[in-house]
Amino acid sequence: MSRLLLGICLTALAYGQSDSWLTFHGDYSGRRHTSLREITPENVAQLQQVWRFETQQNPQIKASPIVADGKLYITTPDNLWAVDTRTGAELWHYENPRNNAFHIGHRGAAIYKDTVYLTTPDCRLIALNAKDGKAKWNVVIADSNKGYWSSNAPLVVRNHVLVGVSGDFDNLPGQLKSIDADTGATQWIFYSTPPPGAKQPNSGGATGGQMWTTGTYDPSLNLVYVGTGNPTPVLNGAVRPGDNPWTCSIVALNPDTGKLVWGFQVSPHDTHDWDANEVPVLADANFNGQARKLLMQASRNGYFFVLDRTNGKSLLTRPFAFVNWAKGIDSQGRPIPDPAKFPSPSGVLVAPNESGATNFRPPSFDPQTGLFIVSAQDGYGIYFFKSGDGAYGWAGADYGVAGRAFLRAIDYQTGKIVWNHPIGEGAGTAGVLTTATGVTFSGDVSGNFLALRTSDGATLWRQSIGRIGNGPISFELDGRQILVVGGGSSLYAFALPKEKR
Amino acid sequence: MRRTLYGVVITLSTVGLVTAQSRAKAQSPAAQPPPQTVTPQTYPIEQIQAGEVRFVSECGFCHGRDAAGGETGPDLTRSKLVAEDNRGDKIGPVVRAGRADLGMPAFSLSPADMAAIVAFIHDQKTKAEAEGGGRRSVEATDLETGDAAAGRRYFNGAGGCSACHSVTGDLAGIASRYEGLKLLMRMLYPSERSEPAPPGLSAHFDQLGKYTDDDMHNVYAYLVTLK
Repeated sequence: MSRLLLGICLTALAYGQSDSWLTFHGDYSGRRHTSLREITPENVAQLQQVWRFETQQNPQIKASPIVADGKLYITTPDNLWAVDTRTGAELWHYENPRNNAFHIGHRGAAIYKDTVYLTTPDCRLIALNAKDGKAKWNVVIADSNKGYWSSNAPLVVRNHVLVGVSGDFDNLPGQLKSIDADTGATQWIFYSTPPPGAKQPNSGGATGGQMWTTGTYDPSLNLVYVGTGNPTPVLNGAVRPGDNPWTCSIVALNPDTGKLVWGFQVSPHDTHDWDANEVPVLADANFNGQARKLLMQASRNGYFFVLDRTNGKSLLTRPFAFVNWAKGIDSQGRPIPDPAKFPSPSGVLVAPNESGATNFRPPSFDPQTGLFIVSAQDGYGIYFFKSGDGAYGWAGADYGVAGRAFLRAIDYQTGKIVWNHPIGEGAGTAGVLTTATGVTFSGDVSGNFLALRTSDGATLWRQSIGRIGNGPISFELDGRQILVVGGGSSLYAFALPKEKR
Repeated sequence: MRRTLYGVVITLSTVGLVTAQSRAKAQSPAAQPPPQTVTPQTYPIEQIQAGEVRFVSECGFCHGRDAAGGETGPDLTRSKLVAEDNRGDKIGPVVRAGRADLGMPAFSLSPADMAAIVAFIHDQKTKAEAEGGGRRSVEATDLETGDAAAGRRYFNGAGGCSACHSVTGDLAGIASRYEGLKLLMRMLYPSERSEPAPPGLSAHFDQLGKYTDDDMHNVYAYLVTLK
């Protein structure tokens, strides 16, 4: 246990450590880049399955596992399993009682000292003893009867457990809560849109902006970065004029107070359900000749954004997938929505479609090649709104028409596409992991686990394991590099054969 | 240049537009109610309530908490399959097998849960029929803003549709086989999800990047004339 305590220190979390995977992203940067060097482009084709863990339940695994102190933790809605990293055997299983909130997916657990945290569809945060899975406390983080639900993998910063919720079927204010890691007490609430009764609502009448994915954190600036979701009502923008801050935004918050330090709206006045919840990836890197603290997001709206994360100022905005909804880029680096592509009574054809140019599946940034690798979709949808659709919740209708899925490598300094690897029709669901040796792991739409060469996207190896709904992770165990990835409702661990290493 | 051409199109196509509007009136929502339940059936209130809990948590995100359509799934209260279902004989197999081509996963539910979900869907359909009209639906009349004559020119000209399709061949009577949103979706991307994909699909995909919204509605209006 002492090793675990030492493991959860800030320096380790900032850029990861090799024997664990401590947060949804592995570390605080969101880069999903492992420094382990055993698996290489030359030997990756020798990967073998080490174990398989089956949840023996219906739902696809959409969570990123976390690994600490020899245990792996994996979730589905209402469920958390602790698994032995050596054997894949179940150590304990916690199940939340049945409830009628949405069970569409779950992104993963969080850990702090000897406590594992689980959010539930009915908006509870449950603290479990890492040793035996016994609940220490169980608190309500939002009212699920109002239409909130949670799939969130919490972000832990010191003793702050940051938990977000979902809820765009109802007109609900966006909220991110900080819960005391030891006691379960609420420390602060950040509202991305004004709570009921707010004195000076600034969102133009919009609600929404839910923060349902896991943010990133810069210890040196003491800033947490979180993407916010779409405004509500979703497709009816007429009743919420203006930009609707802070929906479809990246916000920088002080984790001790919950105060907004800056915000950047990637989709002002969204009318297409393009949550900006995609991972705000952090890197300290040269940008056009200057050393910068960067934040990068490949956003659901089809644009790749690079910001100076000290102040939220734009450095680059460039499409990385088909887009036809913006008239241009404004002086702040934000796309300008084209009113001709707002949902209409007879329908408008819009790129991307509702599922987006990408989505919650996490990307990876490889610092060696400077490539930002994302599971992208070129797609079209048709969007409708007529006055009879009202001003509550969805308020309109939209349908995906067609999509093509790719793993796509973006040069972070120019936004140019360096390579483009087709992975099938529709949209991919697998996240991305890059290694220090130049291998990119992800999946295609047919359920193959893929290893590509990071420099050019060439296929090095593939194995059919069922549809991948999470991001692969990697850690070192007994001196051996392990890969873990979810296929269908199972987790698979891969490694090189012992004798050939 | 485009503006001038566009102006000419509108002038020349007044007749077509009037035709489209007349047709729109003939197909008002009142004339096309949602399909009626074939076999009337009732369920105990306890089963409906239990079904609501299961439906909302498992199905509600895509189909809506009230089964009237959600983020990606259709309005079940206006579904032909639901209308023809009798105590789960049509709904059950779809739920158990899923519709992978449409993104619907397979669900393995206990017989009691399945029966409760079926009860809830039928109850919601009964309520929707009483209220009249779907809240998040797209009516055929909504789509008929285009100019059929301009659509015909696009079909035979700039759109290049006639390179593969014939209105007296494969598309003869297409508007009798499909209507409304279904016809529009097929026009845009006639996905059969067959392997391998027919070669024409990539042409349809490329066309999605070329259509203006007017082109789309005009071609749709032209197809509607192909009864």
